[in-house]
Amino acid sequence: MRLSDIMSGAGLSGYAQVALIIFFIAFLAIAVWIFLPSRRAAMDAASRLPLDNDTPPTSNREGVVR
Amino acid sequence: MNARLDRFSYDDAIVRKFLFATFIWGLVGMLVGLVIALQLAYPNLSFGLPVLSFGRLRPLHTNAVIFAFAGNAFFLGAYYSSQRLLKARMFSDTLSKLHFWGWQLIIVAAALTLPLGFTQAKEYAELEWPIDIAIAVVWVIFAVNFFGTIAKRRERHLYVAIWFYIASIITVAILHIFNNLAIPAGPLKSYSIYAGVQDAFMQWWYGHNAVAFFLTTPFLGLMYYFMPKAADRPVFSYRLSILHFWTLVFMYIWAGPHHLHYTALPEWASTLGMLFSVMLWAPSWGGMVNGLLTLRGAWRKVVEDPVLKFFVVAVTAYGMATFEGPVLSIKSVNALAHYTDWIIAHVHTGALGWNGFMAFGMIYWLLPRLFQTKLHSHKLAEVHFWLATFGMILYAAAIYSAGLTQGLMWRAFDATGRLQFPDFVETTMRLMPMYLLRAAGGGLYIAGMGLFGYNIFKTWGARPAAYDVPVIEAAPLAPNYSETPAPVSGGALAGFARAAWHRTWERLPVTFSVLVLVAVIVASLFEIIPTFLIRSNIPTIASVKPYTPLELAGRDLYIREGCFNCHSQMIRPFRYETERYGEYSKPGEFVYDHPFLWGSRRIGPDLAREGGKYPDLWHVRHFANPSQITARSIMPRYPWFETNALDFEGIQKKVDVMAMLGVPYGDAVNNAPTQARAQAKLIAEGIAAQGGPKGLEGKEIVAIVAYIQRLGRDIKLASAGTPDHAVAAGGSH
Repeated sequence: MRLSDIMSGAGLSGYAQVALIIFFIAFLAIAVWIFLPSRRAAMDAASRLPLDNDTPPTSNREGVVR
Repeated sequence: MNARLDRFSYDDAIVRKFLFATFIWGLVGMLVGLVIALQLAYPNLSFGLPVLSFGRLRPLHTNAVIFAFAGNAFFLGAYYSSQRLLKARMFSDTLSKLHFWGWQLIIVAAALTLPLGFTQAKEYAELEWPIDIAIAVVWVIFAVNFFGTIAKRRERHLYVAIWFYIASIITVAILHIFNNLAIPAGPLKSYSIYAGVQDAFMQWWYGHNAVAFFLTTPFLGLMYYFMPKAADRPVFSYRLSILHFWTLVFMYIWAGPHHLHYTALPEWASTLGMLFSVMLWAPSWGGMVNGLLTLRGAWRKVVEDPVLKFFVVAVTAYGMATFEGPVLSIKSVNALAHYTDWIIAHVHTGALGWNGFMAFGMIYWLLPRLFQTKLHSHKLAEVHFWLATFGMILYAAAIYSAGLTQGLMWRAFDATGRLQFPDFVETTMRLMPMYLLRAAGGGLYIAGMGLFGYNIFKTWGARPAAYDVPVIEAAPLAPNYSETPAPVSGGALAGFARAAWHRTWERLPVTFSVLVLVAVIVASLFEIIPTFLIRSNIPTIASVKPYTPLELAGRDLYIREGCFNCHSQMIRPFRYETERYGEYSKPGEFVYDHPFLWGSRRIGPDLAREGGKYPDLWHVRHFANPSQITARSIMPRYPWFETNALDFEGIQKKVDVMAMLGVPYGDAVNNAPTQARAQAKLIAEGIAAQGGPKGLEGKEIVAIVAYIQRLGRDIKLASAGTPDHAVAAGGSH
C-alpha cells in the first residue's frame, strides 16, 4: 500500500474546518498579545528605535560620563 | 547602570556598493524592458538575432528588475538600517563583501545565460541549476551575516523592520530551494522533478511568494525604517505594524494558486488561493494606512521634500496594487484578466510604483548621509519624481486599456453565436497604439532614472577626500541576557547552558524564526501535498503518452526560445476558449511535462491543441517569417531553426533524465538518437514532398515542428479511436 492510497482514503474533507478554527484562534491570540494594555510602554519605546540618533560624531561623545 | 560602553562603527562602505549596484542594474533592467516593449510594436527590432528575440529578453528584464534592481535595493536598505537598529556593525565584513560580489556575479551569469537560451522555463526561476546553487550559497552567506549581527546586537528589542527582513530571508530560501529541485541534463540544462499540474502548483507557490517575500515584505521592512526616519516621527501604530507582519506571514503563502484559476489545477486549490488572497486585503491596507499616517502632522514636509514625495507615492502604489491583487484573484475577474496585459499593468503598478519609488526615496534620503555632502540637486530630484510619476501613469493607463480591450475581444460573440474576432492577430493589432503609449510611459520613467543617476554620481563626486567614520558608543546587552530565560536550577545542564556559544545562540530570535517557519511550512504543506498524494486530483488518461525523443528535443527548443513567454498551453473551460482553441485542457494531459509550459500571457494564441492544425510546411514557413503567413503577425522570425544542426546524440541524455524522473520511455532509453533520426527523416521527406525546402532532416526545424504537431493530440486521437501505439511510435504525420 502506498502513501497515496492512505491519503486518498483518509477522508480529509473535514480538515478545512479544523484549519479555519486553528487559524482564527491563532489570529485572536496574536491580536490579544499585541493589544495588551500592559505592553503599551514597551511598544511605544520600540516604535522610537529608528529615531535614536544613530551616528553621533565622535567628538560630541568624548569625555561624556554616564 | 553599566558604565562600560562598547565603541564601534558601522560599515557604510558596503551600503555604498549596493547603492551603485541598485542604480546600474535598475537602469539596465528597465532599458531591456523598453526594448521588449518596443519589440511588441516593431518585431523587427530583434534584427533576426537569437540573443535579441523577445522570448529570451523578457526573462532577462524580469530577473534584472526583480533580483538585480529590487534585490540590491533591499540589501542596501537592510545593511544600512539593520546595523543601526541592532546597534552593531555587520557580523563579518568578509561575508558582506562575499554577499555583494556573489550577488553581482549571479546577475552577470543571468545576463549571459538568459539571452543564450539557457532557461528552466519557470517564471522568475528561469536561471539554470548551477546559478541556482550559487544563489542558495550567497543567500546562506547573507543569512549567516544577518543572524550573526542579530546575535551580537546591543539593542534588546528587534524592531519590526528586522522581523520583515528575517521572514524574507527564511521564506525566500525555502521557496527557492523547493521550486528549483531539478535533475541536471547537462552543464546548463535541467528538468524539474515535478510534472504538469504539480510543477505548475510549485511554480506559482514560488512565483507568488517571490512577489510577496522578495518585493513586498523586504520593502515593508524598508518602509517601517525609512518612512519614520524621513518624516522624523515614529510609525503611526507600532501595534498595527506587528499585526501587519503576522497576518502577512500567515496568509501570503496560501495565495499562489490564484495564478492558475480555471486551469487544470484542482478547483479546491484554486478556491483556497482565492480566499486567502481576498483576506490579504485587510493586512495590506492596514500596512498602507500605517505608512501614510506616519506622516500625520508632517504633510507640509511632503511639499518640500522629494524623499517624502517618493514615499507617499510608493505607499499609495502599495495600496493600489494590494487592492487590485485580491480583485484579480476573484475567479470571475481573473477569467477576464488572465493571459492579458491587465496582469502586466498590475505588476508594473507594484514594481514601478511600490518598489521603484521606495528605492528612489530611500536612496535620495541616503545620498547626503552616505557620501557626507549635500545632495547635488534638490531640483533634479523633484523633476525625477514628476517624470517617474507621469511615466508610470501613462504606462499603467495604456496597458490597462490594452488588457481590458484584448480580454473583451477574446470573449466577444456576434449575433449568430460565433466568435466576433476569430482571427487572433486582429485582437493584437488593436493594442498597437497602447503598446506605443506604454513604451512612451516607460521611456519617461527611464528618463527619470537618467536624472537619478546624474544626481547620484554628482553627489558622489562631491564626497570628502576620506569618509568620516563616526565611532558609536552603546552598552552591550547584559551578558546573561537571553531571548528565553535560562533555567534557574543548577547542575551540568545549567553549566552547559551558561557556555558562551549557548548564550550567543539564545540571543538569536529563535522562537520568532521558528514561528515564521511554522507559518510558512504549514501553509505550504497543507496546500501542496494533497495534489501530490491524492490521486483524484490528477486523473490519468490512458491515451496520453510521453513525447518521442525528437519531440522532446523540439520541446527543449521551445523552452530555449522562450515561446512560453507569449504562448500559453492551457485552454480554460469557457465556450469562448474552446471555440477558438479546441477542447479544454485536462490535468492528465500534462503528467509527462517536466517542466510544465502553461504560460501566463497570450501575446500570441494558445498552442495547447496546435498539433495537426496546419501542415508541417506551414510551420516551416511560419518560423522563417511569421508575417508572411499571418499578415501583421508580431511574432519574431526564427530563421536559425532551418540552419542550426540538431544535436541528435544529446537527445539520449535528455531521455535518460526523463526516464529517471519516471517518464515511461521504454525502448528509447537505449536508442533515442536512432528513433529521433528516423522521425526526423519522415518529417523532412514530408516537407520536401509538400514542396518545401529539402535536406532539413538534420536541422532544428524538424524537432520543433515535431513537437508543435504533437501538442494536444493525445486525447484527440483517443476520441477518434486511433490505437495508442500510433502516438507512441511518433507517427503523427
